[in-house]
Amino acid sequence: METNFIIAGFGGQGVLLAGTVLANAFMIEGKNVTWYPCYGAEMRGGTVNCEIVVSDTEVSSVHKQDTDFALVLNQQSFDKFVQRVKSGGTIVANSTLVAESHPRSDIKYVFAPMTKIANDMGNGKVTNVVSLGVLSSVCKIVSKDFLAKGVEKVLGEKKKNLLPLNLEALENGAGSLALV
Amino acid sequence: MSDEKVLIKGNYAIAQAAVNAGCQCYFGYPITPQTEIGEYLSGKMQELDRAYVCAESELGAINMVMGAVSTGVKAMTSSSSCAVALMQEALSYAASDELPVVLVNVMRTGPGLGYIYPAQGDYNQAVYGGGNGDYKIIVLAPSTVQECVDLTYRAFYLAQKYRNPVILLADGLLGQMMEPASFGEYPYPEVDVSGWALTGAKGREARKIYSVAPDEKKQIQHIYDLHKKFEVITENETTYEEFNIDDAQIVLTAFGSMTRNIKAAMNVLRGKGIKAGCFRPVTLSPFPHKRISELAAAGKDFAVVEMNMGQMFKDVKYAVDGKSNVDLINRPCGEWLSVEEIVAGVEGVMQGGKTYAASI
Repeated sequence: METNFIIAGFGGQGVLLAGTVLANAFMIEGKNVTWYPCYGAEMRGGTVNCEIVVSDTEVSSVHKQDTDFALVLNQQSFDKFVQRVKSGGTIVANSTLVAESHPRSDIKYVFAPMTKIANDMGNGKVTNVVSLGVLSSVCKIVSKDFLAKGVEKVLGEKKKNLLPLNLEALENGAGSLALV
Repeated sequence: MSDEKVLIKGNYAIAQAAVNAGCQCYFGYPITPQTEIGEYLSGKMQELDRAYVCAESELGAINMVMGAVSTGVKAMTSSSSCAVALMQEALSYAASDELPVVLVNVMRTGPGLGYIYPAQGDYNQAVYGGGNGDYKIIVLAPSTVQECVDLTYRAFYLAQKYRNPVILLADGLLGQMMEPASFGEYPYPEVDVSGWALTGAKGREARKIYSVAPDEKKQIQHIYDLHKKFEVITENETTYEEFNIDDAQIVLTAFGSMTRNIKAAMNVLRGKGIKAGCFRPVTLSPFPHKRISELAAAGKDFAVVEMNMGQMFKDVKYAVDGKSNVDLINRPCGEWLSVEEIVAGVEGVMQGGKTYAASI
């Protein structure tokens, strides 16, 4: 069983870091996982994305044409990656910055106000971790508990003081859909 | 270092493995997609009181490596494609001088300046060399981030063991991706270099390392000796991986990070009832000609899958030597051939026996 994720947003939203947390969570869970960033001559304000593939067996390929899940944090990413979601797949969007629309009928849509949730916590920078919380509530192979361990690993000893804030962001993201 | 797995980029894995292998000096000049190697070592080497020099150019960097390794210490440089092209003269000298230079090439797109997309277009540059004269380089091609670690260790060991330059041939995809890997300990013994290294002639006869050969007989002998050495390397160090080879009718063959994709394609083809196997050279030089020849003699066909216009393809053809069919499934650069494209390519090959090149 292999599942892939694209996480996308604009530069500065922490999408590569969100992908790193997700990939660490899968690694800690004992799964095979790869993380691959888009890399190129990117401009400030441009979009950035990374692709995470998780598999029970060896990962088949690191970079794929389509994706099971797209986690998009801004409008441009929604417009671009809604086309790349597999039929039957899911797009999870940050409704603070993405207008709700349903351009395809063969995929599932999840909208959550990720930036607003982060801002309400007093720190817009944790939008990326909020988004992972939302993802864990709609994707059963993404475990909130392992995401918490992933966050802890990525923060390390140096930034351990930020752990409570990030764990709260994860919880608030995971609980956000119940509020809608 | 422990056996604990860490999620790490290929470039950082190479850099940390070089540190563990005892690399005392790093000389380099930044270029995408391998800049993280120098970035990582710029801090790490200073921490460990080892040498890090951001050279004035790639020529400077490789010549500094030659200088450092001639004193018996382990040293390396890293670069990418068009900048490795600038180092070819030095590689010819290092091979002739029998210097244990370690060079990492994280391939991008060429020819010329090309671009930063991943590619595998430097197979010929690495295996056949761009320098002058009859020389050979050991070339190792990692396929996963774990192998970025393992083969960096091996590169340092083989370079000193055989006093021969070694290229670690990775690619942009492998350099930029993250995957769990563990470092363990550097697994090889330290090689005694006291018999040749330039460490100051106090109390012994002076030594010289040079490649000028004004004596014809001596030069002939030197070239014979270099090639005899490489025969020993070929005999002892040729390595490859095989999967489902015994009953395979068609053998998907790839090197580097494309290996993952051919293994997945093999599984899909097996599911469709096609007896596919996989073959993957770990050492591109020495190349496993002998094993491919045996497999061809057993009637197995080959489909070579690579991100270039058919460079390793020619080595496979040479090894097969007409004993079976060899086809090419390729794209020049950019997005790696997907599992679906490889499966379609193999099916096309098996139906028509025609070379299949994927469109962009």
